[in-house]
Amino acid sequence: MKTTEAENIEPRELFMRGKEWQNRNNFVKAVLLDVFLVFYALILLQRVIYYKLILDLREVPFGWPQLGAVFIVSVVLGASWAFTRTSLATRLFKLHRDNNITKWNVEIFAWLLFDLTFIAGWVVTKISIVDLFSAEGIHGANRIFSAMFHPNMGIFDDALSAIIETIYLALIATLLSIPPTFLVSFFTARNLMRENKITFAIYYILRIVFNFVRSIEPLIWAIIFSVWVGIGPYAGMIALLVHSVASNAKLYSEAIEGIEEGPVEAMVATGANRIQVVWYAVVPQIVLPFLSFTIYRWDINVRMATVIGLVGGGGIGTMLMQYQGLARWNEVGLIVLMIAFVVWVMDYISARVREAIY
Amino acid sequence: MLLKLQNLHKVYKSGTHALKGVSFEVREGEFLVVIGLSGSGKSTLLRCINRLLEPTSGTIEFMGQDITHVKGEELRHVHQQIAMVFQNFNLVKRRSVLTNVITGRLASLSTVDSVLERFSPEVYEEAFQALRTVGIEEKAKERADALSGGQQQRVAIARSLMQYFEKINNELGTTIICSLHFLSLVRRYATRVIALRQGGIIYQGDPKDINKEWFKTIYGEEAEEVEIR
Ligand SMILES: Nc1ncnc2c1ncn2[C@@H]1O[C@H](COP(=O)(O)OP(=O)(O)O)[C@@H](O)[C@H]1O
Repeated sequence: MKTTEAENIEPRELFMRGKEWQNRNNFVKAVLLDVFLVFYALILLQRVIYYKLILDLREVPFGWPQLGAVFIVSVVLGASWAFTRTSLATRLFKLHRDNNITKWNVEIFAWLLFDLTFIAGWVVTKISIVDLFSAEGIHGANRIFSAMFHPNMGIFDDALSAIIETIYLALIATLLSIPPTFLVSFFTARNLMRENKITFAIYYILRIVFNFVRSIEPLIWAIIFSVWVGIGPYAGMIALLVHSVASNAKLYSEAIEGIEEGPVEAMVATGANRIQVVWYAVVPQIVLPFLSFTIYRWDINVRMATVIGLVGGGGIGTMLMQYQGLARWNEVGLIVLMIAFVVWVMDYISARVREAIY
Repeated sequence: MLLKLQNLHKVYKSGTHALKGVSFEVREGEFLVVIGLSGSGKSTLLRCINRLLEPTSGTIEFMGQDITHVKGEELRHVHQQIAMVFQNFNLVKRRSVLTNVITGRLASLSTVDSVLERFSPEVYEEAFQALRTVGIEEKAKERADALSGGQQQRVAIARSLMQYFEKINNELGTTIICSLHFLSLVRRYATRVIALRQGGIIYQGDPKDINKEWFKTIYGEEAEEVEIR
């Protein structure tokens, strides 16, 4: 019999074994994390605090040997620190010695990391109070604001047709995204795909592909497609379409993963095939969430469409970019007002519709 | 013999050993009742029998065929021949009562027809007949979740009756295996009873022979029998 081993193990025993294995695993992670944190702290200390703040260098020197040396030092420091079980990472994984040394170590190091990160962020951003409130700066702000508050109504007709183009572009991208997203979301839902190895492999690959596609902003997709199909609304539409499919597939499949399993089991028990089970037990449970996500996506796509225009995706964004390039702030003012209005209306409508659905 | 279980074991992934060597046989037309405390393995046993679960070891023979590890098309064929009524109904809440009942017959409909919800008049006729049998024909058009708990259970029974319309069962008569808690009901309906405790059979026989002593062994020292008539 296959199960003799499983039979003789006490549940408690099994639990403790799992725990032990997990602890060992976590300790490896803790060592790696400690090494990384020490490395991070040392690099910031050297490059930001020493070179930038103390020596005030313009060009920070860069060299692999030096970096390697810092890395080796951090490996030694981080690992030995983790092995004393008083480090920050061992505390995070709850593998620490529970004493005052750990407490001080963790507190001081965590503060150091936070402060270093904050200072580095400040330096990198080139924050300057002087620039914000200099006479020249104030004068510039004055010019642009006064122009923007006197929008040039002369271009209203052009702007109106551009913004309509934007809304339709977003609408088409959303509509076209529905069928592929609907189909693909069943293949990226864990509960439907986990049964056998082949389907699970498909699930896994699809997830990776979609995560990748999703992590690329629509703006970048628009750049890609404007080279592919030429600058204009079509490029913008495809960019939004691609991003919508990848983003909504995730939301859709999460909805599928959250369904009640009972009806599925009942359908399986009648001898229905896979497609029938999905159609009768899964689909009725997910139409409303799907509809709601899709409307929300249209709302998002309208905002995105205005931005996408900036890189040649057509619509109001392209127009905005042209006037901004010419420094015609009165025209820019009108366009900004119109975008704000449309986004606000879309936001309101989509919220209302989603409320009505649920 | 309709059903024959031999030394059936089920160990869940979590490590729970829910069935520990269960063996029994069921003849055509029997009304077998499974009793036992909650957690004793009743649902696990029923789910193994109609192969919603795959047993870890042992064998299940159904109508002379070993179905212990069947897969795919064969498994669907097994499901089609055994109807299941769930304790918590498992209806599709957003669909009508009628649609829920018809889903009991999906296995005998083509995929395209069922996705387009194109059902023949006979299917509708059978569905209404099933609803008449359980006495809620007038609720056919309502949404399943608009019904009371008891009515939903009737819908679930009607759904399983749709499977019963298959010829095979009609010729052989219906065999029922069911999990019950009230002993008075067991005595009234069961032709045979099996008591489970911690995944093993501790009593098997005529329901009338369950006396006070057996009762205490099955349900524990403190338990008291509740009468319902
Ligand atoms: N899906 C499951 N996964 C893991 N353990 C389960 C599962 N279903 C039931 N069990 C466990 O198996 C044992 C028997 O449960 P069950 O068959 O539901 O008993 P009963 O129907 O008699 O109340 C219990 O200990 C229960 O916790």
